[in-house]
Amino acid sequence: MKREFGLSIAAGLTAVLVAAGAQAAEIRVLNWNGYGTDLEWAVKAFEEKTGNSVVHDYFNSEQEMLTKLRTNPGAYDVVLINSAFTGQAEKEGLIQAIDTSGIANFADIAPNMATNPDLVPGGEVYGVAWTWGLTSFAINTDAVPTTPTSINVFWDEQYKGKIGWRDDALESVQFAALATGQDINDIKDLDAVKAKLAALMPQIKTFWSSENDWNQFMAAGDFVMAPYWSGSAARSIAKGLPVEFVVPDEGAIGWLDGLSIPTGSKNVDAARAFINYMIDPEFYVRWEAEGAPATANAKAAAALPDDSFNRTVLGNAEIVARVQFMQPVSEENRKAYLELWQELKANSQ
Amino acid sequence: MAMNRILMRLGRVYLGLILVFLYVPIMVMAAMSFNASEFYQLPIVFTTDWYARLWNNSAILDAAWNSIWIASVTTIIATALGTAAAIAFFRYDFRGKAILQVLLFPPIAIPWLITGTAMLIFFFAIGIGRGSRAVLLGHVALALPYVIVVVTARLRTFDPQLEEAARSLGASSWEVTRFVTLPWIAPGVTAGALFAFAVSFDQFVVSYFLSKPGDVTLPVLIYSAIRKGFTPEINAVSTIIIVFSMAMMVVVARYAKFGER
Amino acid sequence: MGATLRQRDNFRAVLLISPAYLWLLVAVFLPLSAMLFFSFLSEGPFGDGARQLVLQNYLEFFEKGFYSKLLWRSLKLGAVVTALCLLIGFPCAYVLAKTIKGRWREALFLLVILPFWSNSLVRIFSWAIVLRGNGVIDATLNKLLPFEVSVNLMFTYSAVVIGLVHSYLPYVILTSYLTLQAIDDSLIDAARSLGAPRRTILLRIILPLSLPGLVAGGVLVFVPVVGSFMEPRILGGRAGTFFGTVIEDQFVAVFNWPLGAALSFTLLAVVLLILAVASPVLKRAQ
Repeated sequence: MKREFGLSIAAGLTAVLVAAGAQAAEIRVLNWNGYGTDLEWAVKAFEEKTGNSVVHDYFNSEQEMLTKLRTNPGAYDVVLINSAFTGQAEKEGLIQAIDTSGIANFADIAPNMATNPDLVPGGEVYGVAWTWGLTSFAINTDAVPTTPTSINVFWDEQYKGKIGWRDDALESVQFAALATGQDINDIKDLDAVKAKLAALMPQIKTFWSSENDWNQFMAAGDFVMAPYWSGSAARSIAKGLPVEFVVPDEGAIGWLDGLSIPTGSKNVDAARAFINYMIDPEFYVRWEAEGAPATANAKAAAALPDDSFNRTVLGNAEIVARVQFMQPVSEENRKAYLELWQELKANSQ
Repeated sequence: MAMNRILMRLGRVYLGLILVFLYVPIMVMAAMSFNASEFYQLPIVFTTDWYARLWNNSAILDAAWNSIWIASVTTIIATALGTAAAIAFFRYDFRGKAILQVLLFPPIAIPWLITGTAMLIFFFAIGIGRGSRAVLLGHVALALPYVIVVVTARLRTFDPQLEEAARSLGASSWEVTRFVTLPWIAPGVTAGALFAFAVSFDQFVVSYFLSKPGDVTLPVLIYSAIRKGFTPEINAVSTIIIVFSMAMMVVVARYAKFGER
Repeated sequence: MGATLRQRDNFRAVLLISPAYLWLLVAVFLPLSAMLFFSFLSEGPFGDGARQLVLQNYLEFFEKGFYSKLLWRSLKLGAVVTALCLLIGFPCAYVLAKTIKGRWREALFLLVILPFWSNSLVRIFSWAIVLRGNGVIDATLNKLLPFEVSVNLMFTYSAVVIGLVHSYLPYVILTSYLTLQAIDDSLIDAARSLGAPRRTILLRIILPLSLPGLVAGGVLVFVPVVGSFMEPRILGGRAGTFFGTVIEDQFVAVFNWPLGAALSFTLLAVVLLILAVASPVLKRAQ
């Protein structure tokens, strides 16, 4: 009896200690700035729910994210990786396989995304599908009265000097691939892409580089249409700008973002709890109202109000059928695209 | 003499115009911190909301404090080391001097992005890692060339015979430095220190790579938000810092001397 | 005796110099040497691709015409910005050093540096608000003038130049001030009382004596401006492609550190070459 009592005390103590240990966990998240995980209310809610605190570090490009993982082993617990880069991170041993049993919401993720081969290399989950969205373009509805149906509106004489563009080689090449009727993941005729982009150059008024740039330039009338991300467009609309997101007949570029756990993370359990919270419908519905990309969680998507952006634009099967989802791009192709793009920019000076 | 007075007045007008030019973006920055539009739209609709929000944004306030602290330490170290090196360059002829002087240019010429990346992997390889120590190491190194160049420029106006004279009167090397050289180059040293502070306080690329997650400086906070962009809260905190610096400078100007002989 | 004196001098020089250079060695020179090494690699430093030592990254600069074209463009930008900074900054420093006395001088001197203490990104974005159509300049001019004008300097070469001149002008003002202030007023007075015209005083006394400051200021402007990428990118828009932005892309858009590093060291070599060619000319002028 006494012994049992002693045991139960020991067990109780252990439980308390474990709980205290879990409580002390500080999760370090590596993500784009302002991309869901660092929402103030969300971090607070998660901290209250689990006792784990959340600290953020940011990256400004995928290459930088990989470099930070390489040079800081053990520094991060959760990292956002675009599915086109998950395979590379896995191959370099930067991220670990995730035991999804601790992630209750994992079962609700749309099957085609949960088992996307880019996120599940070799049959093991290295990235938990979190959000997806489109890279297409948006227009200023005050300046462009009728919604364009073709991506070729960017080459329209009428909008010469009124076009915004993102100074990104890969995105530019893929856009031109769409405009020339090609597969963005298997571009056969790079010369056609180059010619198309060369013709685009005089149309461009400026490059934008951040979401705020985009909003400011649009608000100030610096451009009337520009490529944009669906989640950012949703935010601009939510903030009251006269913006409409367009998915033209030629299609759009689709991307899928996953949450991964870096190798050497000391808080794997807490990291999984955080990922679970991030794909929770309750979190998503609130985030969506402020402007968010589409969720990978089917249950969360179903919980959206009828007039929400992600339901009306991205919930439309007809639109989704036109989307070409981005696959990993080889380093050779990246270099070739960058060179092509830099040459065009240099020659248009 | 009338001609002289006209020229004098013209000179002052010119100085005023330059100051206006230098302060245009500062004034715009301050104005936008009182503007309701999050997208910096004109015309300005007055609000103090951004300041209220700033008050509750501990991340920005912590980062601002971090920046001030790191810039101050950087300034002290870089000014001391840089001044010593500049005096050595001026006073002594030794082998390899020219090479050492040329070596000051790479840190200035190579874009900070590359230097920052190089520091990140090198510090990782030798085990310094990331954190305030690494940031300080990087900041002092970047500020040093500026201090040395500025102090050297001032030293060029110094007559070495003054040192000779003091020495022939029996002054020790330290006494020569303390009572002859340093007073002459004091304006240069002060300017070097102000440069060092500015370099560190504004340094975003290197600190971006070297600071620990959650323990960052203000420029890092701004730079890491560049993809999403920043809100007028950043303008608000920048305005506070400028106003605070002005107040500090009023104090400094009362006591500092930049050249009264 | 001479030998020991020389030894003692050497010892003192080492004592004064080593703290600064040891610091630079650990924090800058060694990391940059690593970068220099990478610039000769066929593949980036991470991953498991086979790596060889090659010259390819440097040859690339010559093979692809647009790199040299952009470097030339950056050098021209550096020259324009440096010239403007010197032309605008030197008279300003002169007024400050020679015509203003007492407390005012200290206050104004500090006022010149103060804008430096604000964040450069915030400053650049403020310039964007000033320069764009419907921006501050545009709106102010339209209020003041009876007729309608449209000033939109944003996303032009001029915008980049304005932003850079603003960022670097204080360097020139400060360094010129430091040497101008050291010129003994009695020297100028003597020349004047001997009947020397203003132009002669300026060209024969003031300019030669303040040359070290002008040179230091010019170097501190020219060298970083040639590799700048932030101001061109934000203020230049489509006209903002320079050598610095191309280097940045090699690190940000692709993982091509070897090429990015090679381009940086090419930039460094060219800048040093220019300084080397210029230095005897400047020394003679002194």
